Amino acid sequence: MDNKPVMAAGPHIHSADSSRRIMLDVILALLPASIAAVVLFGPRAAAMICVCVAAAVVSEFLFNLIAKREQSVGDLSAVVTGLLLALNLSTGVPLWQCALGSVFAIVLVKCAFGGMGHNFANPAITARVFLLMAFTSTVAGGAAPRMVDAVSSATPLGLIGTEGAALPTLGQMFLGLRGGAVGEGCILALLVGFGYLLVRRVISWQIPVIFMGTVFVCFLVSSGSFTVALYELLAGGLVLGAVFMATDYTTTPITAEGRMLFALGCGLITFVIRRFCALPEGVSYSILCMNILAPWLEKWTRRKPLGGV
Amino acid sequence: MSLKKTISSLKLPHYKSTAGMAAVRMAVPKEVLLPMNMHSGQAAEPVVEAGQHVTVGQLIAREEGRNSAPVHASVSGTVKAIEPYAVGGRKTTAIRIESDGKMEKCPDLKIPAPTNLDEFLQCVRESGVVGLGGAAFPVWAKLAAAQKSHIQTVLINGAECEPFITSDHRVMLEHGDLIEKGIALLKQFLGSEEYIIGIEKNKPDAIEALTERFRDDPAVKVMPLDSVYPQGAKQVLLYNATGKVVGPGQRLASLGVIIINVTSLVKTAEYFTTGMPLVERIVTVEGSAVKEPKNLIVPIGCSIRDLVEACGGLKEEPGKIIYGGAMMGKTVDTLDASVLKATNAVVIMNRRDAEKTKASPCIHCGRCVAVCPLGLNPTAFARAMELEDEAARAALLQKEQVSLCMECGCCSYVCPAHRPLAENNSAARRFIRGWETAQKEKAKEGGK
Repeated sequence: MDNKPVMAAGPHIHSADSSRRIMLDVILALLPASIAAVVLFGPRAAAMICVCVAAAVVSEFLFNLIAKREQSVGDLSAVVTGLLLALNLSTGVPLWQCALGSVFAIVLVKCAFGGMGHNFANPAITARVFLLMAFTSTVAGGAAPRMVDAVSSATPLGLIGTEGAALPTLGQMFLGLRGGAVGEGCILALLVGFGYLLVRRVISWQIPVIFMGTVFVCFLVSSGSFTVALYELLAGGLVLGAVFMATDYTTTPITAEGRMLFALGCGLITFVIRRFCALPEGVSYSILCMNILAPWLEKWTRRKPLGGV
Repeated sequence: MSLKKTISSLKLPHYKSTAGMAAVRMAVPKEVLLPMNMHSGQAAEPVVEAGQHVTVGQLIAREEGRNSAPVHASVSGTVKAIEPYAVGGRKTTAIRIESDGKMEKCPDLKIPAPTNLDEFLQCVRESGVVGLGGAAFPVWAKLAAAQKSHIQTVLINGAECEPFITSDHRVMLEHGDLIEKGIALLKQFLGSEEYIIGIEKNKPDAIEALTERFRDDPAVKVMPLDSVYPQGAKQVLLYNATGKVVGPGQRLASLGVIIINVTSLVKTAEYFTTGMPLVERIVTVEGSAVKEPKNLIVPIGCSIRDLVEACGGLKEEPGKIIYGGAMMGKTVDTLDASVLKATNAVVIMNRRDAEKTKASPCIHCGRCVAVCPLGLNPTAFARAMELEDEAARAALLQKEQVSLCMECGCCSYVCPAHRPLAENNSAARRFIRGWETAQKEKAKEGGK
C-alpha cells in the first residue's frame, strides 16, 4: 500500500450516523410492538415475524446474487420491511402468505426499482395491500388476541357506528386488547417506539403528529364526539402507520414542508376512506396514495435558497 | 427589535483543545519556501535572484495582474533558488531562502503615514495582507469597494466556526490593541459608522475581553454568535449579524457592508504600527497524529515539517495533512508543503481518522436538505450530475442554483449513507461554470 498521506476533499470529519444505524434504530423502536404482539397473540405472532423477516432477507440476498448486484442485506433495511409487514398482518393469514408478502415487498417493490432508496412506494404497505387483494378473506379478517373473548374479536373499526355493538373500552384499545393486525393494537408499545425514534432523531414529530392529528380533528368535527374521535385514533393501523410507515424516508418528500403536507394528505385520505367508503384499509391506502404524490409535493415545497431566487 | 430568524445549521464537535494555549514563537527554520500564489488572484512576480541576500520584510516578489499581492522575505538569509512548486495541485514558482538565523530586519521599512483613502489603500496593498481566514483575497481589493460606494458596516469575522482552529481566537485574546488600531484606521479612511465583531459563544473570554475594550465606543459592537457551523461563512454571518442577504450576482459592498477576518485586520493594523509587512502568522497545529498540539507564531513559507518538530513530532504516521479546518480544509500529501499566508491551521490526522467510509445508496432521509445553511438540495445536484445529456444537466443545476453552494461540507458531514455530497457539489459548480462560459462563447460566435 502507498504510504503517502491521503488526498481527499473535505469535510474530513463525519457524524457518527450511518444508514445501518438508522435501520437498527427502527428495529429497536419496533421491538416493544413486536413483544406486545407475541404477548397478545402468542407464538403464532412470533412465527409470523420470523417468517416475514427471514423471507425478506433471503429474497433480497438471492435477488442481489442473481442480478449480480452488490450485497445489501447488511444494511438491515430488509429486516425492517419484513418486521413491518408481519406487524401489519393478523394471525388469520397463513404463514406462506406472510412469506409471499415479504418476497413481493422486497423483490417487486424494492429491488426491481433499484434497491434501497429507489422504490417509489413503501414496500411493507404495498405488500399488505397486495395480500389484501389477493387473499381478501384471510387478510381482512381480524383475529382476536388470546385473552379477549369472542364478542370483541371483530375489528373495532367495523363496529364503530353499529349500535349496540360491544366495543372494547378505550383503555383496552390503548393496550391492544382488540382484534386486528398483530402489531397495530398496542398503542402504548408503539408510542414507546415513537419516543425512541424521536430521541435518536431518526424521525421528527411532524409526520406522525400531523397525520394522527388530522384524523382526530376530522372525526371530532364530523361526529361531534370526542370519544368517537379518540376511538378512530386508537383503532386500525393509524398509529403504526403514522409512526413507522408514513415516516419512511424514501417514499416521503425530502423537504420539511413537503413532509408536513404529506402527513396532512395521509390524514385526510384516511378520514375520507374510513368515513365514507366501505374499506377497512384507510391508513394503508392513504400512505400509498401520498407515496405516489411525494415527488410532486417535493417540487411544490422547494424553498427559495438564501441569496437565491 | 424585530423578530429575526437566525440560520443555525450544524452543531459540530469543536476539537479546540488549543484554545487555551497562548501562541508561542517557533525557532527560526533553516529555510523557507515562499510560493507565488498565496493569494486568490494572479501569481506574484519574483524580483530577487538566486544568491541575493535578503532581510526580513524585504519585497521579494511584486504584485502582478488581477487581485495579486506582493510577497516579502520572512527570514533573513540568501535566496537559494527560484524553483517550480507543485504541492497539492498548486502549480507555481516559489522562492527558497536559506536562513542565516539572524532574522535581521529590512532597513528600508518605514511606518506608513497615509493621509487619504487612496494612499491608505496603496499602503494596504504594499503590506501583502490577504484574507487570512482561508479565502486569501487581497485585503486592499476588498477595502477598495469604499472608493465606489460608502461602506456603512464593517463586519469583523471572529466566528472561527471550523473545528480544530483556534488561531483567530488567540489573535483576539492577544492582540486586542491591534484590533482597536485597525478599527481606528477604518474609521479614519473608510468612515464606516458601524463595526460588528462577530464571535462564536464558544470563545467567552474573547467576547469578554473585546466587549470590555470597546465599552466606551458606541460604533463598535461585539456580537456573540451561536456556536454552529458554518457561522463564519459570508452569507451566514451577514444574515445572522445584520439580517441582510446578498442576492445572486450581487456584491457584498453594494449592501454597504464588508466582511474582514479578524486576523487580516490585525495584520493590516500591525503594518501601520511597525512598518513590517505580512511575514509571519499564528498557525494552530492539531490532529490525532500530533504529539503536542500548539498555537505557533511562524514565518510564512516554513514547512509543515518545521511545525511538527516544534510540536514534539508525530505520535503516528500521518494519514492526512489538512491546511485549515476539518470541514473545508484542503489536503496536501507531504510534510514539505509550505505554510501559506492563509494557513490558519494545519491538522494532521492519523491513519485511522483519515480512513474513508464507503458510500452506500442515498436513502432520501433529507438530512442534507435540512442542514444546508442556504436551503439548497444536494440530492438534486447529485441527480443532475448523473444525467448524460449535458444541456439537461446544466438546466437542472441552474434551476437548483448550485452556484450558490459555498462548499461548507455540512451535507457530507450529516449524510448517513456517507455520500460525498460536498465533493459532488463542487464538481457540479465546476461543470456549470464551464458550461456557462461555453454558452457565452457560442452566443458570441453566433452573433458574428
